[in-house]
Amino acid sequence: MGIGDIWNLIAMQPVINTLVVLTHFLFNNFGLAIIALTLIVNGLMFPLTLKQIRASKAMQDMQPKIAELKKKYGKDKEKMAREQMKLYKESGVSPAGCLLPMLIQMPIWIALFQSIMRVLAVIPENLAGLSHYLYSWPVVYSTLPLSNDFLWLNLASGDMFLALLVGASMWVQQKMVMTPSPDPAQKTQSSLMLWIMPIMFAWLSLSFPSGLALYWVTSNLFRIGLQYWIGGWGGLVKSSPKRDSDRDKKYKQRIAAVEGVSTGGADVVPSSAREEDVSHEESGVERPDSGGGYPKSLRDTKPKSRRGGGHRRKRG
Amino acid sequence: MRIGNRALPVGKISLLIVLLLVGLVAAGCTGISGSPGGGSGATITDGTIFLSPSLKQAGGFGCSTPAVEGKLVAVNAESGIQRWEASLGGAAPSGGFGCSGGATPVAVYGSPALFEDLVYVAGYNGKVYALNAESGALRWVYPREGNMQPIVSGVVVALDKLYFGCSDGKLYALDAATGDMLWEFTTGDKIWATPVIDGDTLYIGSFDKKLYAIDAITGEPKWEKPFEAEGAFASTPLVYNGTIYIGTLDRHFYAIDAITGEQKWEKPFEAEKWFWTRAVAFEDTVYVGCFDNKVYALNALSGEKIAEFDLEGPVRSWPVLAEDRVLIATEEGKIYAIDTANNQLGLFADLAETIYAPLSLNEGILYVYTQEQNLHALNADSGVRLWVQPIN
Repeated sequence: MGIGDIWNLIAMQPVINTLVVLTHFLFNNFGLAIIALTLIVNGLMFPLTLKQIRASKAMQDMQPKIAELKKKYGKDKEKMAREQMKLYKESGVSPAGCLLPMLIQMPIWIALFQSIMRVLAVIPENLAGLSHYLYSWPVVYSTLPLSNDFLWLNLASGDMFLALLVGASMWVQQKMVMTPSPDPAQKTQSSLMLWIMPIMFAWLSLSFPSGLALYWVTSNLFRIGLQYWIGGWGGLVKSSPKRDSDRDKKYKQRIAAVEGVSTGGADVVPSSAREEDVSHEESGVERPDSGGGYPKSLRDTKPKSRRGGGHRRKRG
Repeated sequence: MRIGNRALPVGKISLLIVLLLVGLVAAGCTGISGSPGGGSGATITDGTIFLSPSLKQAGGFGCSTPAVEGKLVAVNAESGIQRWEASLGGAAPSGGFGCSGGATPVAVYGSPALFEDLVYVAGYNGKVYALNAESGALRWVYPREGNMQPIVSGVVVALDKLYFGCSDGKLYALDAATGDMLWEFTTGDKIWATPVIDGDTLYIGSFDKKLYAIDAITGEPKWEKPFEAEGAFASTPLVYNGTIYIGTLDRHFYAIDAITGEQKWEKPFEAEKWFWTRAVAFEDTVYVGCFDNKVYALNALSGEKIAEFDLEGPVRSWPVLAEDRVLIATEEGKIYAIDTANNQLGLFADLAETIYAPLSLNEGILYVYTQEQNLHALNADSGVRLWVQPIN
């Protein structure tokens, strides 16, 4: 059995058959089935998404401190890298926390994408090829081939409006997670990402069947909703100290609320520990130097409860 | 996280991952081409083979795009040398790396049909062409302006009329000489199957899961109600001894009374996968290939299974009856012969090329057109290859 066969067995076949069954139960409407499956998959991946959001937020919160480090050690790259890593370690933030959930989710998105392409089966070659992926369920055989009509869309052809919607929703979603960075290089990179990705996906949406664009729009809207629920409008609204403070407060409340739901381990410190740190800051009690040697302004990042024996000494 | 003494460049890696994702997403449609390949079976008359070559798929970024415009080719049946080719027009590849296809190329799925001095083909671009069989000169095209929806169905000619099904769910009857539309019959979904005519009745299956019997002269339905299956009809019926034999995408193979439209067998025969191809019959046995890699020999009267043959590959192309043997091909290019006297299976030829198009038999020679764009001529008795010609 080759890797392609294994991929088909564990990813493609389950997704394709689920799509067909969902279509059957959703009034033979493939558009509704795409939306439903996208929401189901997003729901199932909620813990991972949450983990990613939290890790990204923690990384963004650290940007001012990293900028300060750059200012201080900018000329000595070696030293800068060392200090940056030390800062990550001290703060309990793992850069991999942003990447790992994304990497884990990738195969799932690809399977979903490929399945939609397969099930659309517009031309005879594709429809005939689809038969190799089907389970022996009567409901599957009686439902196929699927109709490509959904609202004004032909799900097998590109659609300009939906392509624009993909670009716009992706822009909004990215903008929401963006926080202004004092580092010009970081700023340029963020702005580039903010525009390149939506434009690229809008273009892709126009080229691919709109069934895919529907999946992207649904996915983006889900993440926008999740993002709003956790941290409000984020980078979409102009930053102000009061608004930022309210947003952070809301973020912490939401994270605390979903922590019971999420099964994934935290890459940043649990909210209770954060509150503890905040209270020290607010009370003006200076924390003992933990050995990092950062100025006070760099020491207010959130520590992580250490795994594997080591633990932070609680101040009396 | 560190690489040596350097901090991990998270931003750059994120960008890389996203770009990789886009690449994979684009690559995801490899093998799920949105462009029709076509490739008809061969139709032979008076020493000339007519066929429409498949559109070879050129690898684009992730998706395949048709490299050439569609055409109809006339080939000498003895030598395989091309007599003429006629362009059916066509559009340039859509470009980009989308899979939706953009402009429609003229892929032809159904085998050409012949009537008097004309040869007819229907294209996926939604046009029907009538060309002079001697020269390839275009006589007429339908519709004259614009395009219909894609035509996957083959064309059939009878009673001075040309019949074909269309993806718009309609069956059309045209005047074979002029290309004028005579009547149309609307079904509930796409028609991809080629119609079949028996006397003055035309039988056609639709994706609406119904099989229709239609008066070929007037276009009126003949049965009180169409025969309804549990799955869509993608294959062409076989009319044999007053019975219609047809398989569907619900994995069932049915026997239907040609006069009344009632099911004949107590229950339809059930296979493991779709029936896509047409059946052949010999005496009291019906032979039908299936996507489950098998060919079934069924009692034509009762539907009882007489034998099954494992071909180790799905059967898409139409089989032929060569005297008392059934010649049937798998997608992988193996052609088998089933001896109807004792139901023994033997390997007839292994072309090692992809076979989608119907097999064609004429004067003891089996013609096979493959998706690799080769036309093979094999001795129908021995399986020995007489010649092979690239037709592209």
